[in-house]
Amino acid sequence: MTDPLHSLTLAHYLFTGAVLFVLGVIGFISRRNLIIMFLCTEMMFQGVAVTLVAFSRYHQNDTGQTFVIFLLTIAAAEAALALGLVVLLFRRRRTLDAQAWGEMKG
Amino acid sequence: MNMAEKIAGVWPEIALLLGAALCLLVGLARSVAIRRFTGWIAAASLLVAGWIVAAQVCNAGGVIGLTPYIKLAVVAVGLILLMVAAAVPVQLKMTRDIEAGREPFEPGLVIRGEFFAFFLFSLTGVMLTADASDLVWLFLALELTSLPTYVMVATSRDRVEAQESGVKYFFLGAMAAAVFLYGFALIYGATGQTSFSLIVDAANQQIAAQGRISPLLTTGIVLSLLGVAFKIAAVPMHFYAADVYQGATTAVTAFLAFVPKTAGFVALIALLGLLPDGYVPPAITWLLWIMAALTMTVGNVLGLMQSNVKRVLAYSSIAHSGYMLVGLLALHGSGDALGNGTAAILFYLVAYGLATIGAFAVLGSLQARGEEAETFDDISGLVRTHPVLAGVMLLSVLSLLGLPPMIGFLGKIYLFGSAIQHGFVGLVVIAVLNSAVSAVYYLRIASACFFGDSEGHTVSTPGISRPLAAGIAAVAALILGFAGGRLVSTARDAGGFPTGRNDVVTTPSQPPAATTASR
Repeated sequence: MTDPLHSLTLAHYLFTGAVLFVLGVIGFISRRNLIIMFLCTEMMFQGVAVTLVAFSRYHQNDTGQTFVIFLLTIAAAEAALALGLVVLLFRRRRTLDAQAWGEMKG
Repeated sequence: MNMAEKIAGVWPEIALLLGAALCLLVGLARSVAIRRFTGWIAAASLLVAGWIVAAQVCNAGGVIGLTPYIKLAVVAVGLILLMVAAAVPVQLKMTRDIEAGREPFEPGLVIRGEFFAFFLFSLTGVMLTADASDLVWLFLALELTSLPTYVMVATSRDRVEAQESGVKYFFLGAMAAAVFLYGFALIYGATGQTSFSLIVDAANQQIAAQGRISPLLTTGIVLSLLGVAFKIAAVPMHFYAADVYQGATTAVTAFLAFVPKTAGFVALIALLGLLPDGYVPPAITWLLWIMAALTMTVGNVLGLMQSNVKRVLAYSSIAHSGYMLVGLLALHGSGDALGNGTAAILFYLVAYGLATIGAFAVLGSLQARGEEAETFDDISGLVRTHPVLAGVMLLSVLSLLGLPPMIGFLGKIYLFGSAIQHGFVGLVVIAVLNSAVSAVYYLRIASACFFGDSEGHTVSTPGISRPLAAGIAAVAALILGFAGGRLVSTARDAGGFPTGRNDVVTTPSQPPAATTASR
């Protein structure tokens, strides 16, 4: 019997990345808590990261993994910004519920 | 391109970054008099960046490619935006008290230095987008353009609407970034490369081997286009625009209407440039067709229903993105005077930017009940109290509408002409009908200014810089409308096609290019 880890193919990793990404999209659309929504965008980023690393391994070059490092840097910057904005809003509103934003209607 | 050449190309960006760092430092000074310098530092670093670009153009023999064109446009329009923005931090009602030490320090309110630093960071991002030759670079440049704007929206105004719209803008922006990033990952997966030239090579090989590019590459480009559509506020990523444009202070709104949009279109041009010459997969053609048609229709129809001038202008900016998407379809064009979509978009960006900024600057120059003017009531009868501002508003909306003497007219001729040459007649018919619809709300703004009854509660904002910026933008839109030949030919050079032949519009005795006229 073969080791199951050796039978993992590119498709498995791509599938994992796609699932993370799609779960992130669904969560972003359906959840109303600002922090959860932000975590969902982070999950989308991580789905992209898994995809990039898988392709990097598949193509036998390091470009994709380099891309991931930059991606993580930007994700960290966005996290800092998100928390700042959420705290700013929480101090005004005392809630993290996105539905409470009734001031403007599109 | 090796590292040394790459660094030599980004000296203008380095100048802006140094300026931004200096703004941050000076913004920490204890004395108000010193902090007031941050705006001038920002202006100086923009001028230095513009001078460096001009020197690079001279060294290259006077040829203005896409990259220098965008950089010069960013410098010129950036200076106007800076004049509009110069008053932003002062407007916060507590800022002066804090600066004078009468109120305790509140970081959210004292934003002078940071504001100008973010302003410069974002402009740097646009310039870097124009420099991009690699997916990683493009991603970082787009994020550098967007991240500062989120902060600018949220902190520019001491109102909960500004913070809410800032948070909304940020969340949707982060999601859009993830979408185009997934697209980039798929492009990398399909070709094994992130460098643009190597991706094009790989795509050409796929064409040679199979007669088409791989579905993975097509999917990647489609996702990237959808994600970048957020930056230009195109359908399906448009719905934040009205709320964010309304929530932000007027100067920041003017910034949003031009800067991320320019970065977005440059990125779109670069992404479509990944396709091999003369080959656009039907899926991408259809996507752009539908996006363009929906974007302009949604923008114009919803624009009709607004009572807030800022929201009207927000929907107008969505509609203009739709017009420019029409040009995107004609991207792989011949060198004909009217045939090149890239040149048409580059020209239209400047045309649209000047007119929109002019309109927003007029709004920013007026106050009603202690707030910036926003509604039709606020600008009603403007011609009796502020005749010059009313005139500027008229010129701006006429240019946005695309009436003949203005620059907007030339822009539309080029955009739609390039699309007709590529056989997108149906789309151009939709676009022209849309322009006709847009006349209703543009003329509503103009008639409110000229024929409405003044309620007398609208006064001008202190300071000369905003009315001046509005005037410069409108006059530039007018002059370039008459004498746009030079700018047109520059845009066509920048679009990548030699302008060897005599074209219809250029007349040799009319020199002013965008930069000289708008400074």
